[in-house]
Amino acid sequence: MVAVVGVLLLADLLLVNASLAEIAGVAIDAAILVAAGAALAAVASLALRRAGDLVRRRGDPIGAAVVLGGMAAVLIAGLRPGANGSSDPAVGWLVSALLIPMGATLFALLFVTTLAASRRSLATRSREATVLVTAAVVVLVLLLPIGGGVGAWLSGAAGWALDVPIGAVFRGMLVGVAILAAVLAARTVFGVGTTDE
Amino acid sequence: MSDRRAILGRMAAPALLLVLAGAVLLPANIGLRLDRADSSASRGMNAALDRLPVDPMVLVGFDADLGTYAEVRPTVRALLADLLARGANLAFISLTPEGRALAIAELNRLDRLEANPRQIMDLGFLPGAEAALVALARGLGPNAADGTISALLGTTELPDPGMALVIGGNDLGPRSWVEQVAPRRESLEIVAVAPTVLLPELQPYLASGQLAALLATPRDGAAYRASVELGPLERLAEPVEPSSLAILLGVLAAVMVLGHSLGGGLASALRAVRSRETS
Repeated sequence: MVAVVGVLLLADLLLVNASLAEIAGVAIDAAILVAAGAALAAVASLALRRAGDLVRRRGDPIGAAVVLGGMAAVLIAGLRPGANGSSDPAVGWLVSALLIPMGATLFALLFVTTLAASRRSLATRSREATVLVTAAVVVLVLLLPIGGGVGAWLSGAAGWALDVPIGAVFRGMLVGVAILAAVLAARTVFGVGTTDE
Repeated sequence: MSDRRAILGRMAAPALLLVLAGAVLLPANIGLRLDRADSSASRGMNAALDRLPVDPMVLVGFDADLGTYAEVRPTVRALLADLLARGANLAFISLTPEGRALAIAELNRLDRLEANPRQIMDLGFLPGAEAALVALARGLGPNAADGTISALLGTTELPDPGMALVIGGNDLGPRSWVEQVAPRRESLEIVAVAPTVLLPELQPYLASGQLAALLATPRDGAAYRASVELGPLERLAEPVEPSSLAILLGVLAAVMVLGHSLGGGLASALRAVRSRETS
């Protein structure tokens, strides 16, 4: 089945044929439906797990109640009779006024927590951590928001660093990933080297 | 002494946050201008927008993430306002739940600020990750392969875009669009706004021309925002520019903290080498 679908999608990418496109379209639509089903299953699993936590008073019952309350609020707002799904103003309010500000607040603390984590990793005297933090310091200096001649020089240096050393590493990684993906896909499609080996 | 250091250590993070908050509240940027450095990315974006036909359809792939959206938000809002000012029709679509949440917030904001609703279409959320991108590429325009994508998106009015604007940050960002959509719709120009963290990943695509334009650093964003004339749609852009002073202080604090740790580590390593030599 995997081999048939793989060859079909590859052929559809390379050849212009209406019948082939139609069959490939069915395979792609099936993948989308499976993904949507998996997402729904994951949400249902989360709800069941948290409901279990709440009923059995294990783990974090308050957190479980908040998660379930949040899910219920969004579901009621989006699915109540006459609602307009995720475009409904009530869902919009929940997202704009609650979800995004709370998420942004949590992520804003990343600045402080990342600095603390970097200090702790340096305290372990690990060579990798030293290289990582040194590179971070260099990048931070290059991205300093200064105007004028110094800013232009920093910007130029940042551009050079991106185009030459960092660009080279990323191009190499992208090419490597592409080759690896192609090889793995070909092995999967043709049934070469299964995981049982 | 150690008690004093412990107290100072505990006070450091709140003190830094207070200093940054104070810097944000200061009215002027004290001569610091983010937009005065290299403006080549801004020129590239403007050139791509200038190539659009009259009243174009632009597909907005909105898949930012909560963690980095604050960095690109002023640029995204200015770019959306710029496109609307150019008469573009915007069709929003998201392929990640987080991107959809942020898209809902931006669409609500555009509605609140009385952007022309006839120029804005909400295609909603499309599950399926890369498969969804492939289906989207096949389903757009007059030569669409089938009508399934219309059914999934709940509309029969699928756009035939001349450009895709990808707001990156999440898993399905500009790179996925270049890989999955560009080979199937060669006439579609892809431009992107992404946080700095994605810049190294996207730079090769920009250099090869697969991305027509990219704004991916606060400096690029500031240079672009300074270059646009929004006229009456100025209200759709952010009223206040991000504080360059706060950014500078934050970066300097980070450099000082990390530099101090690195210097301490280096000094202790040198002391260890010296003590080995003397013994």
